[in-house]
Amino acid sequence: MTEAILEVRNIVKIYKRGLFNPSETFRLEANFTIRESNVIGVMGPNGSGKTTIFELITGSNQPSSGSVMILGKNIHNVKYSERDQLAMHYHQSYQVRRFRRTKPSFLLSPASRKAPIIHLFDEPQFNIQDGYIGFMLDFFRKLRAQDKLIFVCLHPNELYHVELMREICEKFLFVMNGKIYEFPNFDSMLQMHEFRAYLGKLAPDSTRSND
Amino acid sequence: MAPIFKASEVHKRFGDHVVLENINLQFKSDCLSGIMGPNGAGKTTCFNVLTGKYKPDRGRIEFQGEDITGLAPHEIARKGISRSFQTMNLFNEFTVLENILIALKEVREHGFDFMHLLARESEVAAKAEKILSLVGLSGKEYHRTSDLAYGDRRSLEIGVALAAEPSLLFLDEPTSGLGAKATTQLLDLIHRLKQKYTIVMIEHDMNFLFELADSISVIHWGQVIAYGTPDTLRDNKWVKQSMLGEGA
Repeated sequence: MTEAILEVRNIVKIYKRGLFNPSETFRLEANFTIRESNVIGVMGPNGSGKTTIFELITGSNQPSSGSVMILGKNIHNVKYSERDQLAMHYHQSYQVRRFRRTKPSFLLSPASRKAPIIHLFDEPQFNIQDGYIGFMLDFFRKLRAQDKLIFVCLHPNELYHVELMREICEKFLFVMNGKIYEFPNFDSMLQMHEFRAYLGKLAPDSTRSND
Repeated sequence: MAPIFKASEVHKRFGDHVVLENINLQFKSDCLSGIMGPNGAGKTTCFNVLTGKYKPDRGRIEFQGEDITGLAPHEIARKGISRSFQTMNLFNEFTVLENILIALKEVREHGFDFMHLLARESEVAAKAEKILSLVGLSGKEYHRTSDLAYGDRRSLEIGVALAAEPSLLFLDEPTSGLGAKATTQLLDLIHRLKQKYTIVMIEHDMNFLFELADSISVIHWGQVIAYGTPDTLRDNKWVKQSMLGEGA
């Protein structure tokens, strides 16, 4: 069997506060595997860990335990400057966080690839006023046709955001309170009570038939 | 026909941050090529790499068949590429004519002191005059540059870029900061320039570019996410929707 594009193996990331008697402020847990090219929608409330999981996949953020394997390579053992040749995080400049580096680069291994296989889009600016949405969606489709793995993270504010996600994404992850729930499609995610509560008024009418 | 300018697999990063990923662009002679994209998409960085301000980390840039990757901006300028800037670079205390004269090859070769002497020479003066009339500043030769209206300053800046007699003219967001009237004036100007020059223009304003460009590359996330003629790009549900929104 060929290598899975992405394996998130029992990742735990714990944030603590306090020097002498540290107390846990946030815990993110993730364990999932994505074998093949896909467009995966990631939704969840603010502060639920969406960006953190992206940072763990790109290797910029170090997990407390567990590992992230991209095409069989542990991303945290790849040279810092070559990690984006495996996974690329597209974000707004205000989202960029810097992390302490613990290992010198010469102890790490090369990426052995030129172009990234995983593309993580963090809150792409989907607003109707500028006409760029169509080009962005086409770009996702183009990457998908090149057998890439695409993550699109969006915290929907408008009904069309939900519809867009439904249209372009094949699988979904719902992130809530540091836990990640995996769904094979949008409708199965809609069955989850917490997800419907999260969407609130934006939840599609449950009486509407699914095509 | 071979393109006059070609960028192949250009990659640029600032530290850990990838700003251009695998950019491929081709600009044809006697055409106006557009680069558009939302704010923060990497358009200006792309321009700065193409015109030599930043050296790309990977990839190749060719102008008229010659490899110009990694050359300094002045070396690239000398090969026949002029550029304008989003924020203007003019000598404010000088007159309009002086700003053009400084940029003329004849004056630059003689040095600054000869500027006034040369200005009296009919050939040089005629050249400057011709540029000023092209950019619509005839009659304002002796105005102080700082007294010009914003739209006229933009025209003058384009004039300065033209004074270097470029084979290729790069314009960085020429409409930025302009009002509706000045934008229309600029549209006319670029229409005229299009007949005589090969132009590459970055623009945020889709409509402006759709009016002028022969082909457009859409840049976002430091990559070319779409490419086509204005007609093909305009034929997009979301673009149409945004145009309707503007009309309302």
